[in-house]
Order: sequence, then structure tokens, then C-alpha cells
Amino acid sequence: MTVIAGCGSAIPTSVVTGRSALTIFAAASLADALDAAADPYRSLTGMSYALSTESSTTLRTQIEQGAHADVFLSADTTNPDALAAAGLVDGAIVPFAGNRLAIVVPIDNPAGVTTPFDLGRPGLKVVATGAQVPISTYAATLLERLAALPGAPADLVDGYLANVVSREDNVRTALAKVELGEGDAAIVYASDAAASEGVTTLELPAEANVVAVYAGVVPTTAEAPAAGRAFLDWLAGADGQAILARFGFVAVP
Amino acid sequence: MTRWLAVAAAAILTAFLALPVVTLVGRALASGELVRAIGSEAVVAALRLSLVSTAASLGLIVAFGTPLAFLLARRRFRGSGLVETVVDLPLVLPPSVAGLALLLVFGRRGLVGESLDALGLAIPFTTVAVVLAQVFVAAPFYVRAARAGIAGVPRDLEDAARADGASESGVVRHVIVPLALPALAAGLVMSWARSLGEFGATILFAGNFAGRTQTLPLVVYSELGSADLDAAIAAATVLVIAAVGVLAAVRLARRGRALDLASAG
Repeated sequence: MTVIAGCGSAIPTSVVTGRSALTIFAAASLADALDAAADPYRSLTGMSYALSTESSTTLRTQIEQGAHADVFLSADTTNPDALAAAGLVDGAIVPFAGNRLAIVVPIDNPAGVTTPFDLGRPGLKVVATGAQVPISTYAATLLERLAALPGAPADLVDGYLANVVSREDNVRTALAKVELGEGDAAIVYASDAAASEGVTTLELPAEANVVAVYAGVVPTTAEAPAAGRAFLDWLAGADGQAILARFGFVAVP
Repeated sequence: MTRWLAVAAAAILTAFLALPVVTLVGRALASGELVRAIGSEAVVAALRLSLVSTAASLGLIVAFGTPLAFLLARRRFRGSGLVETVVDLPLVLPPSVAGLALLLVFGRRGLVGESLDALGLAIPFTTVAVVLAQVFVAAPFYVRAARAGIAGVPRDLEDAARADGASESGVVRHVIVPLALPALAAGLVMSWARSLGEFGATILFAGNFAGRTQTLPLVVYSELGSADLDAAIAAATVLVIAAVGVLAAVRLARRGRALDLASAG
């Protein structure tokens, strides 16, 4: 979790260099893509940004408690919807990316996990995320679809749940525990799997896979709402989409 | 004028330190959800785990820390300065660093963890990892207090006991430990408080699983993420109550020591 701007810290919208700076709250899975987008965005607009990346739900709670964010980029539509329902959103909700799921195992794969059906095998150490983290909902859907495939073991879902050894607070820490070899497997986003050099990704049957829809909003706590809106539009536009695609994201379905 | 400024500065800092805690507890009481939230499954499981794990940690800290405190208080030996630094280090290390370092030693690919794993013993993601994280961060509080307490026992009293025919273990049991007891107790209580509050090393090294590694501070963090602020506030309030109790206990222990010295003089 890269927290450059802590929650609620006031980033001056106009720093000494004369440049402007945005505060962006983003789902942990967007960290690498947004780091890479910073330079092109600054050369295009003169606008730099400070990123606070965490689980989307934690970020939503921070915004509900008054944390100032010019843009909130969530790994789902539920959290932006909840903010909108609470009257904390300025303008439209913009879906800007899709992300498939992937199953990752450590490179040396000590548990010998070779197919998604192995996830329910007794004794496996699965690192999952807390129920509040968006990917947990997608992962549950993926498991149900996998369990419905021909040849799937009968107890895949129950076996998977029994194998969970930790519920991490965001998807990046779950990935890190597999990279470190502490966990035998984890369900993460395809973008996370692509960004990591410390894991092997298992093939997922396309018909079982789930596409997570990422949506962004400008919260009412924004100090620079117009600049926040401009960033969101840029991210949903051709340039932003090209960078997101490079990091394993797909178009909004 | 200067005096007025000093009083104002003192009042501002005191208010700054008090306000967040008072607000937290006030909000917990005002929400009317405190009892329900404390009784919620996550908080009850975490409370139980916190009590069990800190009890185990304290047992280990006393069993291994008391001999170390004796050694540091009564013997000068080659490398004793180094040992003292090692003991003090966890006090100044960020807990996240402690968690990562523990993972590199006791993780499945770690220095020690790899051999343990070969024997079928895996530490990360277990309550054992929670206890190890707590011992690592909390042991210094006990060892330092115990060392100071033992060093403060007058040698004359020990010599007098020896002259009366007391054995070495008798001197320890009947002279040193009773006289150092207030310091030992204060150190123990501070150590327990640090164990109870341990967060960073635990979440990195032990992970976060209800009933197994999710202690009260982890519930505060997790429930914040689930947007269930009531549960987070309830768990936080339990920790505040424990912290206030700890400070009261330390004060009592200190007063006990003051009385002892007064009666000895």
C-alpha cells in the first residue's frame, strides 16, 4: 500500500512551483497504473497528483469521515453508489475500466497447484481478502462458476473457504503474501498478476471468469472538483485507457 | 505573561491529547450501539484471542525476561552493552519493520521458518505468530523495568540475608523479588498493554483471520474498512478501557513502591 498522501492530509492545490496537485484516492489494484500515468498526465496538463491507495471500502469510509479527495477511483461500483446515496458525490459516476480475475501461486509453487480446481484441496494455504474488499465478492462469483464447470470437485467452494488462512485488508497484501511464499494461492486481479514478477498465474476458463467494473467519482470533499473531473475524463478517454490496458486492465464491459 | 503563555501551551497540549480519546468514547456511548457492537461476533472473537494471546506472551516474557533482567542488573560482562541495545531496539523500531523482519526469520522461506516448515510446523497465519509478534515488541518494557527494579534492591539487604544463612535462590525468592515486585509488576502491566495494542507486526506476520489471528486492534482496522464504524468504535473503546486500567494499575504499583521505600527508611 503506497500512501503518499495520508488520509485527510491537506495537499496544497497550488504548490511553490506554481504547479497544481490533485489528491487521488484509488483502489490498491490501481497503484502501478496510476504511478505510470503520473508523468504523462503532468506533461499533458501541468497537473501532478498525490496517490493514496487502499481497499476501496476503506477509502470510502475515509471520505465519509470528511477526508479530502479530488477523485475517488473504486474497484467496484458499489462504493461509489454508496457515496452517491449519501449525497457525497459531485456529478456523474464514471465507469473507467474492467479487470478480470486471476489465480496466482508462488513461482516455485510448493503446494503444486496446477488447476483452479486445486483451490479446494485440503491443506492448501489460501490468502483471501476481507468480506468488505470488493474482490471478495468477485472471487465468490468466480468460485461458484468454477464449481459449476464439468469435472469440478463437489466441495470446491467449501474446501476453498476452509483453506483460507488470512483475510487481508486489500488485494495487494494478499498478492504480497503469495509472492513471499507464505500463501500457496490467492485470487487477485489479472492486472495484479501481470504486474508481479514473483508469482505464476494459472489459466482460468474464460466462461468462469468475472470482470470487475471500476468506477470513479468526484467526492463533495474535493478541493479541486473541476480538475478532479478532468482527470476522470482523461482516464476514461483514449490516453488513460491505453495506460490501463498496458497494466492488464480491460475495457468496461 | 510568560507564565500565562506556559499555562496556555500546557492546556492546549492536554486538550489535544484528551480530545480524540474522549470523543471516541463519547461517540461509542452516544451511538447506543456499544453493547450490541461489543457483543458482535468479530469483537467477541477478537477479545478472546487478545486475552489468550497476551496471556501467553506475558508468560514467555516473564519466563525468559526475568533471568535476562537479573543478568543485566547484576553482571557486567563482555557484550552487555550490545545485549542492552538489542533489548531496547524493538522500542524504537516501527512495528511494520518488526513484522517484516519476523516474516523473514519465521516465514516459510525464512531463516528458521524453512527448517520448521520441513518439519511440518508453519508459523505465519497462526496464533503462535501473534504471540511471537507480541513478545518481540513488548518484552523490552518488562526487561527494562525489571532490570531497574532489581538494580535498585540494596546490596546490604542481600548480604544480610546471606549472613543469616540464606541460599542464593533464597536471596532471590525472599529478598530481591519481593523488593523489586512493584517494578516487576509495573513492567508487566506496560508489557501487557503493548502486547494488547500490537497491530503492525501482527497484521504483517500473522495475517488477519477472525478467531485465529485477528486481535482487537486488527478488528478496529478491518471494521473501518467494512464501513461498520460502530464495530470499529466498540473495539477501540474496549482498548481505551484496557489502556486506562493499565495506567491505573501502574500508578498503584508505583505507590506500592513508594510505600515500601518509606517503610524501609
